[in-house]
Amino acid sequence: MKAWLGALVALVFGAGVIGASPLAARDLTIVAGGGALQDHMRRTLFGTFGAPVVDTAYDYNVGPIRAMVQARNITWDVVMVEAPDLIRGCEDGVFERIDWSVVNRAKFSAGGTNECGAGAIGWGVSVFWDRNRHPAGPANFQEFWDVQRFPGRRTLRRGARMTLEIALMGDGVPAAEVYRLLATPAGQARAFAALDRLRPNLHFWTGGQQPIELVNNGEVAFAVGFVGRTANAIRGGAAYELRWPTLLYAFDYWAVVRGSPNAAAGMRLIEHITNPAPLLELTKVWPVNPVTEAVANDSDVRARNPLMMTNHQAGGLQIDTEFWLEHGPALEQRFAAWLNR
Amino acid sequence: MPRGLAAALLAPLLLLLGLGFLAPLLALLATAVRDPELAATLPGTRAELVAWDGQGLPGEGAFAALARESTAALADRRLGPLTARLNFSEPGLRAALLRVARAGGRLSAPFADSVPALDQRWADPATWQALAAARGPLTSLYLLRALDLTPGAAGIEAVPADLALFRELFARTLWVSLLVTLACILLAYPLAALIAGLRPPWSGIVTAMVLVPFWSSVLVRSTAWFALLAREGPVNEALLAAGLIAEPLQMLGTRAAVLVATIHVLLPVAVLPLLAVMLRLDPRLPRAAASLGAGPWLRFWRIWLPLTLPGVAAGGALVFLLAIGFYITPALLGGERDQLIAWFIAQFLNRDVNWGMAAALSVWLLALAGAVLALAGLLAGDAWRARR
Amino acid sequence: MPWLILATGPILAFLLAPLLAALVMSLAPTETLTLAPASLSLRWYAEFFTNPRWIQATINSLIVGGGATLVATLLGTAAAIGLHFGRFPARGLLLSILTLPVVTPFIVTGAALFFAFSAVGLSGSLVGLVLGHSVIASPFVVVTVLAALQGQDANLLRAAASLGASPLLALRRVVLPLIAPGVAAGAVFAFATSLDEFIISLFLAGPGQFTLPRQMYATVREYTTPTILAAATLLVALSILFVLATEALRRRAA
Repeated sequence: MKAWLGALVALVFGAGVIGASPLAARDLTIVAGGGALQDHMRRTLFGTFGAPVVDTAYDYNVGPIRAMVQARNITWDVVMVEAPDLIRGCEDGVFERIDWSVVNRAKFSAGGTNECGAGAIGWGVSVFWDRNRHPAGPANFQEFWDVQRFPGRRTLRRGARMTLEIALMGDGVPAAEVYRLLATPAGQARAFAALDRLRPNLHFWTGGQQPIELVNNGEVAFAVGFVGRTANAIRGGAAYELRWPTLLYAFDYWAVVRGSPNAAAGMRLIEHITNPAPLLELTKVWPVNPVTEAVANDSDVRARNPLMMTNHQAGGLQIDTEFWLEHGPALEQRFAAWLNR
Repeated sequence: MPRGLAAALLAPLLLLLGLGFLAPLLALLATAVRDPELAATLPGTRAELVAWDGQGLPGEGAFAALARESTAALADRRLGPLTARLNFSEPGLRAALLRVARAGGRLSAPFADSVPALDQRWADPATWQALAAARGPLTSLYLLRALDLTPGAAGIEAVPADLALFRELFARTLWVSLLVTLACILLAYPLAALIAGLRPPWSGIVTAMVLVPFWSSVLVRSTAWFALLAREGPVNEALLAAGLIAEPLQMLGTRAAVLVATIHVLLPVAVLPLLAVMLRLDPRLPRAAASLGAGPWLRFWRIWLPLTLPGVAAGGALVFLLAIGFYITPALLGGERDQLIAWFIAQFLNRDVNWGMAAALSVWLLALAGAVLALAGLLAGDAWRARR
Repeated sequence: MPWLILATGPILAFLLAPLLAALVMSLAPTETLTLAPASLSLRWYAEFFTNPRWIQATINSLIVGGGATLVATLLGTAAAIGLHFGRFPARGLLLSILTLPVVTPFIVTGAALFFAFSAVGLSGSLVGLVLGHSVIASPFVVVTVLAALQGQDANLLRAAASLGASPLLALRRVVLPLIAPGVAAGAVFAFATSLDEFIISLFLAGPGQFTLPRQMYATVREYTTPTILAAATLLVALSILFVLATEALRRRAA
């Protein structure tokens, strides 16, 4: 009994010592969205850095990062963040300013850098469906709204961002007008009215894999989902029809958590994982959309990956980060209220 | 035992609970009413606003302080919390403030002209009133917004209908919890009566059947239901095979799934207090009643029920308390319209990083819990207090 | 009685069915979730025991559980003894404070601990988790040990004192051995509480400190594989052990 007790005490104290010392020699830690993409990143990007890198996944909730910074107990060094979180975090001092003497700013595509962020990947959503179940499908969002012509349930992301833009376009608003209109009360009312019309045929998804699952099991006829996953499924043999003209896209950025003891190494890691050589390796196994210009516009890469987003970005709508920073809280609450009625 | 020794034995746990539970709880309550951002970010501007009478526009001093301090705060990257706070109470204020901050030292006196020239929102008294409303140190903003109210110019107003969310949410949480509590009591009562009436080893075996689920994590049980009710899961498989349905049923993402799983998780919680009370029931009482000619219904109504009421109150209160805070079961098994208050608390904490709202919702939830406890205490009366 | 058995049979079935179903589904040979697997396979259990994420989660659960049990049992037993023998006038109030964590909705406790522990650097650490779990586990220990104390003859301490034993000696040589089964039962409750705990772990655990329930939640959101059900079944097996352990302890105390 006494020996067991003693061992337990030692174990707890040991764990406590390890757990409580933020300055303990901790490996460089990079955090991204997980899944198969991160597995590939581990091999091609992190693993080729030269120094030990620990990687882990998170669900893009930045609350814990803020808590870390506030507590000055940083356990993450480099994080992949979505654009609104990056900008807001930069303003709030949650992320370090990127050291552009270490990271070569010139190699990124237009719009691919920010004071606190270096472009990681482009991502987007678009309409897709299973060709075997539905030979014909909507070519644009107006047709997506047309349940007479294309009957069946649809699925959209559960949240205001992206869904409200899609609702306006479904109501016939041209892409170039979307954000101007959505900033006005009339425009917002119009978006929600459009959602109301589609609601009986609408199902909302929360997880990235869900659109694929819903299309696969026939639960929905037409889906709006992440193009990366759709493209990956197509490469794996799925008979999906991907409608590029309905693309909405944005960039995710690598950021360094403010106060990280490994900040300098983190900058070097970012420089490495945004370099053409490792990224080219990644593009061989995953239809990723790099923000490094050399790779994004590499003709070989684009030819090899017809499903690469850069091949189709020109016709898409870039999600306006500043708009969502401005109107996000109000619109998200309005969406939640609408959803719960 | 000398009082000193007893106190010394009590102290460590009280210390742990004080530091590790009560203090955090109080800090949470404080977060719901604190309004520190303006004072921390733009102290000079705030001082000017405190001195302002709220009519028309404030003086040159306020404009100057605004320009100077917001620029400094932006450079230091301290402006974020304030823009988020202002944008929460007044959408559009963030852009107005940022425009001034980004102008840097390029603005010149008189600021009362140059600032509105940059962004005409600053010529609107309403903007300044919104800023003044954030002067703190305390605010009712979060507590009111958590009930779909807002501190308007003319007192407390209701939030616009298309933003109203939380009262509905509290109502839904209450309703679901009441349903679950009722169902658990109705199911637990006969079960507890059974165990109380059995002799060992059967009493032990059936008790174990209740305890094993009880000691399994909520997540274990919710996950089991998630797998069971999946579209391609066993329940649909069985129903299809039995020919009862032609197409798989959509069971996940429904209120029914949430209710069934929540009842399943909380049923043992209702059984245990009922069982404790029933075991203490003197078996001679019902027997005496029977020998005096009372039928089973009369025995139940006049002897069992009144004597087991403390158990019903205890079990019901416990189930209700747990149900109102349920997060994981609705999150896993429910649809959009099935999320309870806890889900939004988690959202405000993790995703939206609006800790004031998370705290305010928690305050109201705690108030609800407190009211339930008080009610249960009243209902069960002395029997409850004596047993503790 | 017979009608009672008839009425409660379905209720018991309802209670146990999902757990049994999880067991059956965890033995499926493929990823399909079915109650009638073509054959039985232990591959998902093998997956559980070899997957680094699950291994880490198990280790974390054991460390946190062990730590929380230690803290909760030590502090809880001491507090129960002090409360029982101390004859405080505010005994009821003290007991209410000690059991407050049980009646506070877990989401509120989780949020409060998230704020407070983040501010002092305890979030995202095993120590923070141990403390958080100790807070919610200690009421169980207190209540259990109090019950054990109340079951003892009140005269024992007085007898010991009359024989010349100091209060501490009486505690050590008389009271503790007598309530040992109650303390052990409290320890089992504390461990089970920590093992099952999800909400506080959701907020306080960083990726390296995921406990088993936290890891299950992370996995089920991605895709439902029978590995999760294997984990669930293993945890249920542990629950059975807990129930048996506390039953054995109860017998020893009687």
